[in-house]
Amino acid sequence: MGGFLKVKKIGVISGKGGVGKTSLVASLASIAYKDRNISLMILDCDVDAPNLALILPPISDEDVETQDTFTTKKARFFEEKCVNCKQCYDDHFCEFSALNWNEKDNIPFIDYLACEGCGACRVLCPEDAFEINPVKSGEIITYETKVGFPLIYGKTKLGSTTSGLLVSEVKQHAADLKEFDTTNLILIDGPPGIGCPVIATISGLDYIVAITEPTPSGLHDLSRAIEMINQFNIPFGIVINKSDLKSASQKELYLFIEKANYEILGRIKFDLSIPEAMSYAKPVVDYAPESVASQAINKIYIKLKHILSKL
Amino acid sequence: MFKLKPKVICVTGGKGGTGKTLVAVNLAVMFKNQGYKVLLIDGDVENPNTFLLLNAKLKNKTEVLYFLPKIIEEKCTMCGLCAENCETHALLHIKNSYPIPISTVCSGCKLCYKICPTNAIDPDSKVIGWTYTASAFNIDLMLGELKPTEARSAVIVKKLMGNLEYIIKTEPKKYDIIILDTAPGAHCDVEELISGADLVIPVTEPTKFGKLDLLRIIELINLLKKKYKVIVNRSSLLGYKEKFLRELEEKGIEILGDIPLDEEIVSSYCQGIPLMEETSKFDRNGVGYKSFEIIFDNLKKWGDFSK
Repeated sequence: MGGFLKVKKIGVISGKGGVGKTSLVASLASIAYKDRNISLMILDCDVDAPNLALILPPISDEDVETQDTFTTKKARFFEEKCVNCKQCYDDHFCEFSALNWNEKDNIPFIDYLACEGCGACRVLCPEDAFEINPVKSGEIITYETKVGFPLIYGKTKLGSTTSGLLVSEVKQHAADLKEFDTTNLILIDGPPGIGCPVIATISGLDYIVAITEPTPSGLHDLSRAIEMINQFNIPFGIVINKSDLKSASQKELYLFIEKANYEILGRIKFDLSIPEAMSYAKPVVDYAPESVASQAINKIYIKLKHILSKL
Repeated sequence: MFKLKPKVICVTGGKGGTGKTLVAVNLAVMFKNQGYKVLLIDGDVENPNTFLLLNAKLKNKTEVLYFLPKIIEEKCTMCGLCAENCETHALLHIKNSYPIPISTVCSGCKLCYKICPTNAIDPDSKVIGWTYTASAFNIDLMLGELKPTEARSAVIVKKLMGNLEYIIKTEPKKYDIIILDTAPGAHCDVEELISGADLVIPVTEPTKFGKLDLLRIIELINLLKKKYKVIVNRSSLLGYKEKFLRELEEKGIEILGDIPLDEEIVSSYCQGIPLMEETSKFDRNGVGYKSFEIIFDNLKKWGDFSK
């Protein structure tokens, strides 16, 4: 099998958290890097809890580039312009309850965490006493991993209400790197859930890997993730982690997949070498190449590459 | 923020899959076993799972609506003022045509509706999710669900907290204990729930990932000036428990308890019968069962839970 003619972007998501997204991405990355037909770039878009950097650390700390992002906007109040008319408070300029009234000083005050930076107060105040400014929302960190490929990840500043926008910024940042031109595979570790940051993660992808486990929550959250993926018309395949778990949901999950004729990319049996590899902060395919889990992930890689070559 | 009469405990954790819902459900059950009136609120609206662990049937499906501008073409003069002032560029205006609302990026600030000089914008709405109630094992459950493909999960979380505020205002004696279950991560949904709590319990696991995400959620808890104690789940994993607990203690992080790996926990989880339910048939001497009893004792020593 050769490389791809065009760059392929794939993302790993799950709905439910803690089912093995990061473990799978780290191992797929390690396999892809050894594949001489693949030129790889890795993104961690779980900007609330980015963990991939723990398994794929930089060659040296000096080479780590950190760039602040300003995807959040916040309102600022200028007391000198205020004529204390109280219109902003009385007429509910703010739909997010971020504009409150300080009775003592007879001026408004802004609840910084609640402010969405929508600009309503700026436009509506007759005295122009409000401004909207971009503020630091997080960081984008870029480096070359010990293994050899570039890793880009975002990390939100706590309380900045920006996860989705920061994800888009991380993807844009990656596309602007000079390495991007020679890359033919972009692999993204996605956030849990199905909301704003996940939607931002999957937008524009060629293929999605949805990982789950055979529990009632795993199945429930997978079905919700698929509902969202389908809305974006992106092809996807399913990986079942802890596939030999004793659970009544086994049959239900099987029927769910069978009925809709979804693609199964592979099954990874419960294997202690995965948590062990994690404790050494290594991809399982490097820590225990002969393990059951590593063999399963290698098979998933081959199948994935085959699917991508046909897209 | 409102002052709450019943004690509100928020179970969170940063990392996904550490056992937040497992802990939230079993804490609710243990309080109920001792005669407390308990309301469990599932605030993980992207993936609400509490009802699965309680095998509860959801009732009272209620739509959560969100503002969406609708252009009344007969009134619109195509002046473009709405699009010009929209901070998130949710109104696309091409010269000599009607503006087109782009619902996915609309913040819902209603500025367009408020400033339109000809009142050509109708404050329409769309369904972005639902709230439900349920009851199982004598625990009341309130749950929010984000409609798949929608992004504004925080609105649904705010709705749940608004409902709670209403209950407390109108029936202050209805519940003794409120337990909030959060989504993974440290974003606005999680922040909203932590803000409304008296005590916060982050659940983690003894891995590097668990620790990294725990430290981040603690940073958020500190930012919100809340009291917290940590539960370490899967504590027997790979024999790192002692080292992990020591590392946390060195950072001044207090531990509420730990839960070792236990087949019975997995089994209770998959069956939808809480491990700590008094009518259940789980082993009262099992390691999981015992660890939850210790956690509950420690919790009662930590907080004042007078009925």
